[in-house]
Amino acid sequence: MESGDKVWEVFIQKKAGLPFKHAGSVHGYDKKMALQNARDLYTRRGEGRELWVVEASNIVAVPLDEADAFFDPADDKIYRHPTFYDIPDSVGHM
Amino acid sequence: MKITIENKDAMSVIRLADTSVILAQRLAEMCSNGPTLEEDIALSNISLDLFGRAEELYRIVARMEGNKFTPDEYVFHRNEREYYNIKLVEQPNHDFAWVISRQLLHDIYAKELFTQLSNSPIHEIAGLSQKVLKEIRYSFMHSHDWTNRLGLGTPESNQRMQAALDHLMKYVDEMFNFDELDRKFIPDPEKLKSTWFSEVDRILGESNLKRNAVAPLSMRDFRQGFHSEHMGHLLSIMQFLPRAYPDAKW
Repeated sequence: MESGDKVWEVFIQKKAGLPFKHAGSVHGYDKKMALQNARDLYTRRGEGRELWVVEASNIVAVPLDEADAFFDPADDKIYRHPTFYDIPDSVGHM
Repeated sequence: MKITIENKDAMSVIRLADTSVILAQRLAEMCSNGPTLEEDIALSNISLDLFGRAEELYRIVARMEGNKFTPDEYVFHRNEREYYNIKLVEQPNHDFAWVISRQLLHDIYAKELFTQLSNSPIHEIAGLSQKVLKEIRYSFMHSHDWTNRLGLGTPESNQRMQAALDHLMKYVDEMFNFDELDRKFIPDPEKLKSTWFSEVDRILGESNLKRNAVAPLSMRDFRQGFHSEHMGHLLSIMQFLPRAYPDAKW
């Protein structure tokens, strides 16, 4: 990786109204190049109509070594899942 | 196999087809040789667009000629002197600046040419032109962007771009030496020429590059099937397999 080169995360929206989904990452020196590279790598086969690129360093992530503290406490709290209610038949699939 | 072209419109269309397929082949040579993985794929995408465009154009040629030959036969069984591409597009991938300069000069030409041809009285040509203009606009966005970057980049990138342009400009004159066929086929040849020069000057101007005067080449015209020394080598690689193994199948 040369100086000035950055990594960008790529998000694609399949069509208007749907959420953007993470597709992968690309290298690029600036916003314009990142967008063109993302277009060439990820939308060659009609994957979408809109693209976002976000500089990877601007994404705030949970540090890997703190993942346990962040996520494990949720493991034993099954009561957080709404599975203890009787759902009336008329509600149908929820 | 001796491939002939009888119809005058077919002769005009095969010039476009040959220009597309030769540039496609040059860009295909960049596959696995791009400066970055991303750029490698970008160039390969543009190459594939050009191969697709060429195939459609050869199909139109074949129909005009009563299907005497297939698109593959036009591509793989004509010799150098039977090819009618502009010499600009057969120039080699000397470095990335050559790739980008060649593409820019071609894209500006193709953009105006296919814009005009989208009003061609030949329906198939008008329809195809409208479709390929989208591809050309993207290719132009890409070559324009890189011309800005390299022209305004480092002293070395600027000097390499200028060297590439100074070489490639030698092959520009013949593009606008219109013959009778061109005047019949291209709606407004003079506008093709004036638009090309004003667009090239605009983009080079914004990129700190110049269109230097170049000594005219004493080479005969592509319309008579004349080429630079690079063309034979390109064809020998492109045509080797189907000529050595005529019964080979995909």
